[in-house]
Amino acid sequence: MNITDNIDNDIKFLAKSEIRLKILGELDKRPNNVRGIVKKTNIAYSSVSSNIGKLESNNYISKVENKYYINPMTQVYFKTLMDFKNSVELVNNYDAFWNKHNLNQLSITSIKRITDLKNSELIETTPIDIYKTHNTIKNQIMDSKNVKAIFPYLHPEYPKLIEGVLKNNGTVELIVPESIFKELIFRVNDDVRKKAVRHKKLNVYRFKNDLNLYLTICDENMSLGLFKNDGSFDQNRVLVANDTKSHNWAQELFNHVKKQVKS
Amino acid sequence: MSAVETKKELSKEFSGIKYILTSGMRSKLLLAIYDGPKNLDELRNELKKPSATILHGLKELESINLIRKVQKYYELTSNGFLLTTNMVKLIENWYAINKNKLFWNSHDLDGIPDDVLKDIYLLKNAEYVASTTSDLSNAFNTYIKVISKAKKLKIILPIYSENHFKHLIKLLNGKKLKELELVVSEEILNSIEENELLKKELINSKKVKIKCIERKLKFFLTYSEEFMSLTLFFKDGHYDDSQLLIAKDKNAIKWAKTLEKSI
Repeated sequence: MNITDNIDNDIKFLAKSEIRLKILGELDKRPNNVRGIVKKTNIAYSSVSSNIGKLESNNYISKVENKYYINPMTQVYFKTLMDFKNSVELVNNYDAFWNKHNLNQLSITSIKRITDLKNSELIETTPIDIYKTHNTIKNQIMDSKNVKAIFPYLHPEYPKLIEGVLKNNGTVELIVPESIFKELIFRVNDDVRKKAVRHKKLNVYRFKNDLNLYLTICDENMSLGLFKNDGSFDQNRVLVANDTKSHNWAQELFNHVKKQVKS
Repeated sequence: MSAVETKKELSKEFSGIKYILTSGMRSKLLLAIYDGPKNLDELRNELKKPSATILHGLKELESINLIRKVQKYYELTSNGFLLTTNMVKLIENWYAINKNKLFWNSHDLDGIPDDVLKDIYLLKNAEYVASTTSDLSNAFNTYIKVISKAKKLKIILPIYSENHFKHLIKLLNGKKLKELELVVSEEILNSIEENELLKKELINSKKVKIKCIERKLKFFLTYSEEFMSLTLFFKDGHYDDSQLLIAKDKNAIKWAKTLEKSI
């Protein structure tokens, strides 16, 4: 990956000055004049005015009558820069979740869209509630009509949880490693399972290689869990979210892993 | 808040991106290691900088946990991988805009949602076609040429243009085009319905599906399985027939689909 000099310079020019970024943030919302920007941002008049001048002479903004307008291209530059900023923040804020964890099974697309998870919450176990992560997900599954999940290991409660969803006439789609397939499936009540399979309400895909990812998509929530670099699953942390963007993000990741299942 | 406090707040807010983006050394090192783990010799050859400079940059990145040294090789940590993937996305975004600068900078982009603009890197292989004084309909003719090869077309059409309709009807009466889906605003649909010929050839055609939406559209998007094209409006509200963005790769078509979904 190479970075060409003119893009490098553009990025540096904007990223270098917080004041310019703040001004662009204001102009991205609406055209304004120096005085208006000073009022909104609380930055000194002289700083706003000199940076406005620099932005204008470098063609990032234009003056029409007495107001400054952000140029369309700058708008996209600014938005993508803020998107990068959000991704840096997301990585830093959930450092304990990402750091020293295996990300091999996340798709590049899902990493490039990581800011879609910005409304998620990191759930961590505590010494007085060591099952907090498991119970959070368990409750989500119990409340859900439709469940999609990637289960890299078998928790003894999973068969009953799946059974519960199916008895409730819901649908379940799972991706599990070959090694736990039978254990998981045959512990679901025979009649419930067969009926669900017949009505296409239960689909279980066997993943041939190692699964290093934990993902559940319920009606209201999605939850993501990772493996540590030492190969063990990190049971103490899950990232949980209940907004549409995260939901779509999880959906895309689920489909990405599903594509790797060879049937 | 005093001006000094404002400045402090600001530098805190943007410190994350500033640290990475404003140092050529740090960002170049991350990009070099993103391609695969490298040792000092390899980095020195690639970046053409003395060992001391490179080691200094590596130390800095190591201290904020973006890279680590395993035996003699430097590799990205999980945080470093997340961040660098997003930095690559940022650079590709800027590259994509910069490549077709004239197109992006002269049009109104307000009709394209932020989330779609943030993925503009998907258009990095798109080509810009403009009409010239010697060929006033270059863009239009290019467009007609590319749509006439399609079997299935989807068009988000923000304008009522008899010239476009004339060509579409010709294609519908030919053998190649099997399916045409038009997405138009109510206003445009009404105008189509008022025209007897269009009513007969478009609305009553079995090959045509028309979807009507309430919102006014601000972009002209066409895609098939083979290509995508985009034209836009000027800031003053007039449609620009003279500049076209066109691409034939999967990523661009994916971008077109996302844009269509956003309406």
